[in-house]
Amino acid sequence: MASTGSGVKPTTVVDSRGTMCPGPITDLFRAYRNANVGDVIELLATDPGAKSDTDAWARRSGNEVVAVIDEKDYVRIQIRVVKKGKQ
Amino acid sequence: MAEPSVSIVVVGGGSGGTLTANLLTKQLANEIHAGQVTVHLVSGSQQHIFQPDYLHVAFAGQEPAELVRDEHSLVKQDVHMIEQSAERIDLKAQSVTLASGERLRYDYLVIATGSVPNPKAIPGLGEAALNFHTSPEESKKIWDLLQQFDGGHVVVGIAGVPHKCPPSPNEAAFLVDDYFRKRGIRDKVKLTFLTPYPRPYPAEPMSRVVEPRFQKRGIEIVTFFNVESVDPAKRTIYSLEGESQSYDLLLMVPPHRGADVVIESGIGDADGWIPTNKNTMRIVGYENAYAVGDATNIPVSKTGVTAHLESIVAASNIASSIRQKNELYKYNGRIHCPFEMGSGTAAFVIGSYNMPVKEIQPTRIRYMMKKGFAKFYWQTLSGNWDWIFNIYFGETHTVERT
Repeated sequence: MASTGSGVKPTTVVDSRGTMCPGPITDLFRAYRNANVGDVIELLATDPGAKSDTDAWARRSGNEVVAVIDEKDYVRIQIRVVKKGKQ
Repeated sequence: MAEPSVSIVVVGGGSGGTLTANLLTKQLANEIHAGQVTVHLVSGSQQHIFQPDYLHVAFAGQEPAELVRDEHSLVKQDVHMIEQSAERIDLKAQSVTLASGERLRYDYLVIATGSVPNPKAIPGLGEAALNFHTSPEESKKIWDLLQQFDGGHVVVGIAGVPHKCPPSPNEAAFLVDDYFRKRGIRDKVKLTFLTPYPRPYPAEPMSRVVEPRFQKRGIEIVTFFNVESVDPAKRTIYSLEGESQSYDLLLMVPPHRGADVVIESGIGDADGWIPTNKNTMRIVGYENAYAVGDATNIPVSKTGVTAHLESIVAASNIASSIRQKNELYKYNGRIHCPFEMGSGTAAFVIGSYNMPVKEIQPTRIRYMMKKGFAKFYWQTLSGNWDWIFNIYFGETHTVERT
């Protein structure tokens, strides 16, 4: 697997590059639905709104943005699932 | 000896399948009449439903029968209709297995099998909520229930993504608000809109249009609510984010999945969407197989307009290939979703792969355009009126020499 740049190995990589809002956040939600607590979802996105949307969702839901890595043409956002469901 | 006829099989008799079959017979009329090409349309249902009007059955009392026409009346004479469902599609063997067990060989394939609302994906949702995405009859249940509802908490929203017709959950909230105002009991109804997205409408420019109107009408907005489950006994809906809402009437758009035949044939992704080139509409890895409309995984809205525009591209590419014209048609991702915002007004959601959605205000004229299009829908399936679309939409695809 390629280096993550953050030292965190993602459990799931979601490639939303080339999609515009709400593509990336929709793909993130689909991955979140299938994830377990402790998993790290890595979202790849070219849409400029992906960072702020993901950050707002993580703050609201109690999940954690582990890293935001700017690559040449896209961004990699790593989210650790800390909270899910009626806990 | 005459060469064997080229077989084109279109699977699915909704907007995309019907239009694709009609366009193919139009573009390849000479070849069909010479016995060189056959266009088959495989559809298990002979009822064609105008789905955008589910909203008006549910929230304005429109008669369900007004949404339905016989598929035979919409299909051109040169289309060979096969009134059976497709049970299996084998892309490698180039065949479609019908319900009768017969295998239909194809040279070109178009899959237009649509999307399926899937309430079962959310525990409790099917028992607890009604929806306006499944059928005219399901939508009518909402209208019947609204007549008996005298006050309480109505929750409208999105239970899962993706779903067809992105504006429809917002439209439902506007129309529910309209309905209770007309009955004079709006003050007895608390109306809440639930969405998994960060804002009332996923695309920010249109959300800027929706949000103040929701606020003005007293529609409470709850964002980042990814529905986990519903407890019908407690009348409570729960989110993956750990929040909950109680309700008296729950009207939720279910998550959608691809068609059974796609899933059972193993040609879709985990949710049954077919990996498709977002420009050429070819199924990834295949030169002679196409997918259009809701069935694809391409990053555009699942709506009738996009199915229409994609069908033009798929049909043109097949006709070009058969006629050896060396032209490749490429869809540019154009979307154009009518968006009703109550009080007889509407806007449109307009964008493309290279043009972000822009802010468009609702007007009475746009509402009239939406209503006019609904009446015009049946004629558009013939493929004879695309010149009007070309004028109205402008460029929706490009053509490259190959």
